[in-house]
Amino acid sequence: MKQTRFKAWTIAVALVVTFSLAACGNGKNTSNAENSAPANTSETESSTETASAPANDQPVKLRIYAQYFDDDTKKPYDYAVAELKKSMPNVELVLDPSVQDNGQKLRTYAASGNMPDIFQVGYNDIKAFSTSKNIEMLDNAAPTAQFKQDLNPGNEPVLIAPDGHIYAYPYSGIEFQILFYNKKLFADAGVQVPIKTFDQWKDAIAKFKAKGIVPLSIFSKEKWIGNSFYKGLVTREEPNGYAALTGTELSDAFKLAAKQFNDLKVAGLFDLNATNTNYDQASSMFYTGKAAMFVNGQWEIYGADKQMGDNVDWMYWPAKDEATYDAMKFYMDGSGEPAGYGVSTTSKNKETAIEVAAFISRKYAEFKYTQLGNPIVSVKVDKPITATPPAMMQRLIDETLPNIKGFAKLNENVKISTAIDDNTQNLIVKDFSDQDFIKNMNRVLGEVNK
Amino acid sequence: MRNYFGNKRAIAAFALPALLLYTLVVAYPVAQSLYRSFFDWDGLGAGTFTGLSNYVKLIDDPLLLTSLKNGGIFALVLVVFQIGLGTVLALACADAKIKGRKILKVGYFIPVVLSVTVVCQLWIAIYDPTNGLINRLFQMLGIPYQQNWLSSPTVSIIAIAFVNAWQYMGYQFSLLYAGVKSIPEQYMEAAIIDGCTKWAAHRKITIPLMVETYKFCFIVAITSGIGAFVQMLIITNGGPGTTNFTLTFMIFRYAFNEFEYGYACAVAVFLVALSLLATVIINRLFERERITY
Repeated sequence: MKQTRFKAWTIAVALVVTFSLAACGNGKNTSNAENSAPANTSETESSTETASAPANDQPVKLRIYAQYFDDDTKKPYDYAVAELKKSMPNVELVLDPSVQDNGQKLRTYAASGNMPDIFQVGYNDIKAFSTSKNIEMLDNAAPTAQFKQDLNPGNEPVLIAPDGHIYAYPYSGIEFQILFYNKKLFADAGVQVPIKTFDQWKDAIAKFKAKGIVPLSIFSKEKWIGNSFYKGLVTREEPNGYAALTGTELSDAFKLAAKQFNDLKVAGLFDLNATNTNYDQASSMFYTGKAAMFVNGQWEIYGADKQMGDNVDWMYWPAKDEATYDAMKFYMDGSGEPAGYGVSTTSKNKETAIEVAAFISRKYAEFKYTQLGNPIVSVKVDKPITATPPAMMQRLIDETLPNIKGFAKLNENVKISTAIDDNTQNLIVKDFSDQDFIKNMNRVLGEVNK
Repeated sequence: MRNYFGNKRAIAAFALPALLLYTLVVAYPVAQSLYRSFFDWDGLGAGTFTGLSNYVKLIDDPLLLTSLKNGGIFALVLVVFQIGLGTVLALACADAKIKGRKILKVGYFIPVVLSVTVVCQLWIAIYDPTNGLINRLFQMLGIPYQQNWLSSPTVSIIAIAFVNAWQYMGYQFSLLYAGVKSIPEQYMEAAIIDGCTKWAAHRKITIPLMVETYKFCFIVAITSGIGAFVQMLIITNGGPGTTNFTLTFMIFRYAFNEFEYGYACAVAVFLVALSLLATVIINRLFERERITY
């Protein structure tokens, strides 16, 4: 009797476990089934029209996954939400603040079939979500034609993915990296600005080091900034940037940039602890006058202006000689890639979500343009600038933006971009030469482009 | 006792909750990792079955050699500092002639209860090449040696491993101290009466009798070294480049940066297999000298 009871009990427990595990599996299967929804946009739209299609004045609640942690992210969001209330009062946004986790939370949402209706998304996730059918293709969506029409010239790469489709409405334009410098330190050291050539740059390094000043602060604990620094050097010779890495070996332009990078390091451009320096430490070194130069994107203009006022300006990337500098200075060290607000394929109010995603993106751009005087936005804004841009931004508006000849283009291969990240960070430290860089990169290129 | 073991219901009632929990949080994920390691999988879709290709790729991956080398160095540093130094300190603290033993015991254990982040930030400051304590100390002592502790490809892994060794030495110390105290004092007294020196007595009696404790300490130190991650992530983020990568860092990179979850699972399976192998070898090595009393 005891034996029978024990068996029955064991079977019952086993069944509970089996059902629990099966339930997990079912969840994934459901998600997979959802993921394998038809790729054809018109098909998906028509199939969801009945499901979504709320009357225009019916209240709609949409979950939005967006960055919301500092002034740069909170203010444009609040502005866009306030504008949305005026234009679509029936829409209520429920904010799910995103975290800076390289898209892990969003991927977890996607894997568990819990995608927000609208979400901020970068290109890596767009690629993954387009394959797994978690992001709505917006090619034929209602707001897309107008969005395309209103795009600022040259901004196509931030809207249209390399596969020719549209997955997200962008708000930023193509951003790029520049060299900031401390005017007073340059004047005190007798360094002429702008630095146009590498010889001038090395000469400046020697002068700053003689005065005990770090020539350039860089937050190279983050690998992307060393990558951008290298790209800045590359663009003086190869305006297409990393998109030109199609062969099995580095071309001369890339080899020269590696040599220049290494020579600058040997000359003492970087702080000894550069690869363990984070943004706060590097920017603090520059703002407090301990470093003469600082490398970052043009978005740093606002912070630099606030901290240093008139004592800071920026310069283009130097080149091997003045003729090259003059010819190449308007090829910018930045490459646009698709990003912005995307919409989930499983949203119950897909059409409304698409409208809201496009609207929010436009309003972000509007905020940046009108309130910050930042013209590097995705779409044209027909409202006047209400804020006076910092002098550095004004210089960018007057001198650079009308004359930009091109941006470095994206290399889509993750292996190549990861290898550049790793090896440019290595180039900053002693005991790693440009020859090591070339050898490592050629190995990766040989594997990827064979 | 026979009645107790005959009561299957009682055994099931006591064992099943733990077994269920273990199955759900350990066995099932390990089995899933093994299963997924045979797929080209980005973590979202169903993935494509690719057989052993992830393992073949792993053999050719230059990061594997770097990671194994770093794991080995890390484990060695832990063994030397945590077990070596821990033994010396445990023997010293067990000696009644040593003054202030209570304070020393508490002092050795304090770093264990500190947050890893706090400890790493402390050592980042100590290792700073310009203003750090160590280089400044060399300057003050007139020693013309300056080291870029966290950027040097040869020194940084040892520097990082030392942070872990320093923080968790107290944990190994407490195990070893308990081991020393568990040995009957008569053995030591008899040896001393026979004219044995204290050092010889420890070498011939105390340490051999602590074989089970050492077995556990070695397993903890070596598997911690092979799978080290947190200190690398906080202190250098694995850099410069991939200099400070370990197997766990490889998993992190392939899963969360390159979204190759299938390949990351293969690395994880390799890590588990390596840790099990290390455990088996340690068990075998210490088995021959098993002493019961």
